[in-house]
Amino acid sequence: MAVRHLEVEVRREPKGAVLDLRGEINGFAQQALDAAYAEAEEGDPETILLNFEEVDYINSTGIALIVGLLARARASKRSLSAYGLSDHYVEIFNITRLSDFVSVFPDEKSALSEAKPA
Amino acid sequence: MTAANRRPEQPRDADHWARYVETLRVTGLREGAGARNVEGRRPMSPLQGFGKMWQKTFKVRLEGAKASPAEVVRTWREGFPELSGMGKGFLVPSGGLVPGAVALLGGGLTGVMVLYADEESFTYMTPEGHPFSGWITFSSHVAEDGTTVAQAQLLIRANDPLWEAMMPLGLHKMEDMTWQRTLRRVAAHFGADGRVETKVVCVDPKRQWRHYKNVRHNVLIRSALHALTAPLRWLGRRPGG
Repeated sequence: MAVRHLEVEVRREPKGAVLDLRGEINGFAQQALDAAYAEAEEGDPETILLNFEEVDYINSTGIALIVGLLARARASKRSLSAYGLSDHYVEIFNITRLSDFVSVFPDEKSALSEAKPA
Repeated sequence: MTAANRRPEQPRDADHWARYVETLRVTGLREGAGARNVEGRRPMSPLQGFGKMWQKTFKVRLEGAKASPAEVVRTWREGFPELSGMGKGFLVPSGGLVPGAVALLGGGLTGVMVLYADEESFTYMTPEGHPFSGWITFSSHVAEDGTTVAQAQLLIRANDPLWEAMMPLGLHKMEDMTWQRTLRRVAAHFGADGRVETKVVCVDPKRQWRHYKNVRHNVLIRSALHALTAPLRWLGRRPGG
């Protein structure tokens, strides 16, 4: 099966920036994720949301990249939240204990209304 | 679960991840393998530790070797005790290093859980008490010039204040040397030169003081206490004791 490299689009919403993730989060995703996160930070939003609705593959290197984003968010006292995770990826967030540090919401509306600063 | 009975709606990575466990269970090892520092301990992510968070990347180009990334990772996973230099001190459970398996290190001083494994990578997650909380990912890929590269990448932080204090006193260096040596051995196995590139980045310079209590699981302290209290246990086991 062909690898679907990660594509990321940055959207600005009144309550925060949203990173729409599409494809696979693996070692090849680092550049796209880092660039998109840097772009999202430019407006100094209180909250950055990761939209996983169109993510169809995450490996352990990909999870490590998300931890890297979390570290950047905490360093700048920003909230990093996630939404649109399938049951499978919610379980991956639980296995890796990422869910202890990243708030997970069912949809964008609830994420933007409930996300708290880190 | 195998690919054959996987539900069609499950993502492709589903079989590669360990199942969620609250605490570790050590199974499939020979009787008498000391697992008291691992059994019942929680697996730890790099977020739950105490010290600064580090990303350490070690890689070696397998110049001249014909091995594919899948072949490198299969060899590495199957021969991990020897290739890592841990030898008989690294106890692999009978089912092998499959997702969810728990292996012991240092003859049982500590251990690791296989968090993830696919054809081209596998990842260990450490338990409470281990020097580091975090993940170690071993992988292989083909570089742009067609050379196969083997890589070990750690995302770790010292688990408690004691281990953090030991980081600049040699723990950092010891960890680096372990994986540099491992990569040299992997390269040698495939007949390649073993020049290892090392890149160390401090991902989070903050110490997480709220996690200082992790020290209660520290394997050095617990093992020392276990040794010191051995005479009391011996007395308790004596008939009429």
